Formats: sequence, C-alpha cells, structure tokens
Amino acid sequence: MIRLSGRFRSALIIGGQGIRARKTRTLLSMVSLFLGVLAVVVVQVGAETAKSARLADLELHAGKDGTRQMYLQGTADSVRISQETLKGRPDAIAVTSLQAIIGEPNVTPINPGGAPFDQPGGYGMSYNMSCDQSGNCYPVPMNGQDQAQVPGAAIEMSLSALTGDIRQFRPFRSVAGNWLDFSTEPSLSPGLVVNLEAAKGFSRNRVPAEMRINGTTANPTPRILGVVDDGNSQPVAYGRADELGYWLPAPTGNMNYGPGLQIMMAPTALDVEQLLRVRLIASGIPADQLHAETIQARKEIAKELALMRWIFLGMASLVLLIGVAGILNVGLATVGERVEEFALRRAVGTPRSLLAGIVLAETLLTGLFTAAAAIGLSAAALTAISTLFGDREQFLADLVFPWQAGVAGVVAGLVAGVLGGLIPAIRAARIPIATVMRA
Amino acid sequence: MTALLELNGITKTLKGQQAPRTILAGADLTVDRGESVAILGRSGSGKSTLLSLIGLFDRPDGGQYLLGGRDITKLSERKAAALRSAEFGFVFQRFFLLKHLTAAQNVAMALVNGQGWMSRRKRKARTMAALDQVGIAHLAKHKPARLSGGEQQRVAVARALVREPRLLLADEPTGALDTETGNLVIEVMRAATDRGCGLILVTHDWDHANKMQRVLRLSDGLLEPATDTRPVAETVATAQPVPVADATAVYR
Repeated sequence: MIRLSGRFRSALIIGGQGIRARKTRTLLSMVSLFLGVLAVVVVQVGAETAKSARLADLELHAGKDGTRQMYLQGTADSVRISQETLKGRPDAIAVTSLQAIIGEPNVTPINPGGAPFDQPGGYGMSYNMSCDQSGNCYPVPMNGQDQAQVPGAAIEMSLSALTGDIRQFRPFRSVAGNWLDFSTEPSLSPGLVVNLEAAKGFSRNRVPAEMRINGTTANPTPRILGVVDDGNSQPVAYGRADELGYWLPAPTGNMNYGPGLQIMMAPTALDVEQLLRVRLIASGIPADQLHAETIQARKEIAKELALMRWIFLGMASLVLLIGVAGILNVGLATVGERVEEFALRRAVGTPRSLLAGIVLAETLLTGLFTAAAAIGLSAAALTAISTLFGDREQFLADLVFPWQAGVAGVVAGLVAGVLGGLIPAIRAARIPIATVMRA
Repeated sequence: MTALLELNGITKTLKGQQAPRTILAGADLTVDRGESVAILGRSGSGKSTLLSLIGLFDRPDGGQYLLGGRDITKLSERKAAALRSAEFGFVFQRFFLLKHLTAAQNVAMALVNGQGWMSRRKRKARTMAALDQVGIAHLAKHKPARLSGGEQQRVAVARALVREPRLLLADEPTGALDTETGNLVIEVMRAATDRGCGLILVTHDWDHANKMQRVLRLSDGLLEPATDTRPVAETVATAQPVPVADATAVYR
C-alpha cells in the first residue's frame, strides 16, 4: 500500500513538474481537448435538462412515478362508491370529471365544448367528454335541446371534483392564490382553483359568477380561490367533491359523469385499492373492467430520450476523438523530446511502470484540467442563460447544472487523458536505459 | 570478507544488423567496499557495455554477477530497478540534468523514483547534504543553464550520491570538462570512497585513472591490470590527488 502510494505520489510530482515545464504545450493539449469535453458536457446538460423538463411536464399531465391509477366509467355506482371509499384518505383520491359553464345562463359559451381560448370556435358546438375504463376519452355531442342558441358571456370548462389533494400525484405549480382546503367544512359556494387556460378566459372576459353543471337543477355561485399551472391546454377547474355534491343530484342508475372517473393512489395504498376493487365488484362492475396501472414516467422518458442522447453523444465523442488525437500527437512529440530524461529516470531506479504512470499522470491531469474548464464554462453559461432569459420561459428559469454533466465531463477528460496518453506512456516505458550510455 | 562486486567470466555479444560482435569474452572483476577502480580502453573496446552490465542496464550473455555475495546475474526488470535505486549511483559523460528543474530538484529526482516514499522534509535534508558533499549547496536553487560545466557535473555526482549507494559507476565523467574542472569532479567522487562507497571509473584519461586505487584495461573483451606507458614527465603533475575541500573551495 505504501509502495503503491509512493509510486502514485511520485507520478503526480513528476507529472506536475512536466506540466509546469511545458505550460504552452499543456495549454495546446487542453485547447485541442477542450471542445471535445465541452461537447460531452453540453450534450449531457441538454439531455438532463430536457429530461427534467419532460419529466416535470409528464408529472403535471399524467402523475408522478409509481402512482397507481385506475380509470372507471363514470356511472352512478362507481362515482358513489369511489367517493365514499376514498373520502378522507390521504393516500388516494377520486377525480370525477364534469363539464361546467360559468357565466350568463342560457347562452352559448365563448369557448363551446371547453376549447382553448386561442382556438376560435373550439369544437364548434358543445360536447361532453366520455371516457371508458381504459382511460380513452372521446367527445359526445350534448343533447340538442341543451344547446344554447345565443352567444354570451360564459366560459365552459372541465370541472374536476376531487376527494383529496391531487397535487401529491400531479405536482401543479401554484401561480396565484390558494389551493383547495380539504380540512374545513364544505361550503355551499363551491371553491374552485382554475388552471392557466381557464384563468386566461376569466381575465379576458367579464362573466357573472354563476355555474351551470349538467344535471343540476340550480346554479351555484363559485368562488375562485387560486390559479395553478396543471400543464393542460384546455380550461379546467378543480373543486372539492363534497362541495360540488351539494348541487349535483344524487347519482342514479342512468347518470353519466362525462369523461368519467379517475382514481389515483400512492404506491403504498394497496389496502385502499383492494377495498375499492372489492366494493366496485360487489356493486356489479365486472372485475375485468377494473384495470389499475402504475405510472412509469421516467421509463417512458428514458426510452424517448435515449436514442437522441446517444446520437448526440456519438457526435460529441467524435469531437472528443479529435481532441484525443491532438493530445496523443503532443504526447508522442513530448516523449520523443524526453527520451534522455526517461532513460535517466530508469537509470536512477524508476520502474518502467512508473515511467508509463508519469506520462499518463500528465495526460490525465491535462484531461482533468480541461474537464474542470469545460464544466466551469458550462455551469457559468447555464447560470447566465437562466438569469438573462429566465423570465421568458419557465424551464429556463429552472435551469440547474446537472451533476450528471459534471460526472460526464470528468469521465470524458479522464478517458481522453488515458486514450491520448496510453501510447506515449508505452513508448516512454520502452525507452532503453542504455540511451544515456550512448549519448 | 565478501567482495562488494564480483564478475566471473562475463560475456556479452552485441547482435545488430551487422555480424554479431563479441564485446566481453569472459571478463573478471572484483571490487571491494570503498575501493576505487579505473577501467581504461580504446574506443569501442566495451567499457561502457561493461559498465551498463554492472549497472544492471543490460544482462550478460554468460558468466556470473555477484553483488555483496548475492547472485544477480538474472534479475527481473523490477528487481533490477530497485537495486539500481538502492545500490548504485551513476555519473555520465554528459550531465543529463533536467533543464526545467533546479539543482536541488535534479538531485531529489533520484529520491522521487517510486522506490519507497520519503517526506518532503527528509528529501530536502538528504538533497542538501548531497549538494554539500560535492561543495555546491549554495547553488541549490540554480537551474542548470546558470551553472558551469563543472558545477553541472557535480550536481550529477550529488544526484548519484544522494541515496548513499554502495557503488558509484562513472562513465567518462570528465569527458566534457577541461582538465582542472575534471580533476575537481574526480576528487569529489574519490572522496565518496572514503565513506565506504566503491567507485568504478571508465575513462580515457591516465591522469584520472592514476588517482584510483587500481587501474584495469579492457582489451579483447578481457580485463587486465594496466601499466602507465606514458613518459615519466607527463605523469608527474597528476601523482598526488587534490583534497576535496581544497578542490571545491573555489566555488564557495
């Protein structure tokens, strides 16, 4: 151990002396290697940033990794059983989707069918969304008699009735105001948190606070509590299922809850899943219609980004290879110049392996210095981009130098050092000791 | 008492693109501790080859090589490197100082060779002691470009002595120096024999050879005692060795 340590330290000392003695040459080696290592770091930064952004996007839309989810047809029984079973549970929620129109009664909404506000006309007419047990949703035309004939100040949106806090599964970003408070008594005036698209509609149009929900006999007055970014491009409002339940008629056998019913559960909530499954089957829902699946966002992203990452890493490796050729060229020239030094070092007892180690130490140190420079520059550039352009795009504001890029840079520097230094190291070790005798 | 070094019937044939050439044809040599031996011979007679075999730079084709009674004729490269570090000191005709290092760093180079580890403080002390031994401790921080030829060769001698070797091997160490400076270097090396270090000096110079305890001639691949065939008048000036202290005084 001491012997190894002595050799290692000797290699570092002699390598350091060699680098100091040939600063310009070391700098040139670093320059030739710099672009290669930088390319690897940048590719890694890009890949990790894209992955983070994509993951955040996917978590907003679909849910966090590991979340168990189940789609059910929104029948009276499935809705009632789900809401009863999951009420007050911290690790599972039921999301019942409805269509709601807020604004003047008996008018055609500004965005019929709950379409995005920047797509004039939307679906052209009002639709209900119907989802099957597999989660596939499709528009169903509303009853012709229900369609209002007169355009007016009203906004149509999807209304999600929640039995608990959905943010534990879908990490909505708070934009303004507050989230729903499930710890208080339900209010007769349903509190709503709207998404950015719905907020856009409210900010552009002055609409009265009257909410129409399919199947209700009276229109409640909603309270807008806050705005969140849920990643949805269509207007959506989230409310407490118990508050909305005051206004909805008791579920009956032929009632259809629009796009249906979604159950989201924590991976640990196996007892809830089991209980819910038993109760649903007992109510007459066929067991083969109860499909629970686990969200695997990272896996999906990994597949999605892997090919792109490898293509870019391949290109970066080519640039790195050019850098390696540069360092190899400089290394060979340096060994040629130092033939006498290496022969002399062998004469004073330096083993061949240490001579090779000295040359490798020099190229490895050069590689590490280059990696440090490339990583430093990338991190600084990322910080500058985040500071300068963060207010334009959210993902730019969230830019952080990923540690994986740092590791990739160091590995690239070390690999380049080894590849560039290996042949010169072997040559140095093979220099005959008698060179000094013949000189 | 066991001899420091013993060569018995050493043979060496150089094989190149031309016909094989026998350089050593059964050379015998014995060197005791603290003994100084000069080896003379015409160019191409095999003096340097003999020295490279003694210094374990190369292996003999035949014969036996004993160091302190231990047979080291067939030694692995790794063990040979360790022995070179521990037992031998080398001085060459060209000084082979690394120009980017100071005199002290050039000397310390023999201590940072992967054969064990020495603390920086200990290295410095050993280096300064070696430089002091050859009378140039005050030039420790000078780089080779600022040193004269004699000073550079004395740095090389200090490098050879810094590990306190049992045998100092010098291959025409005065070949690149003027007579006076050459004498100083020879005296510095000879002084090392007073501390028990053996010395083998390969030289063309009778004056320097005469300062050694024994003078041998390498001829036809064999070592034999040499006699000074020069006229008496030429030998008078070099009869008495110069004390090291006096020799180095001019540099202080």
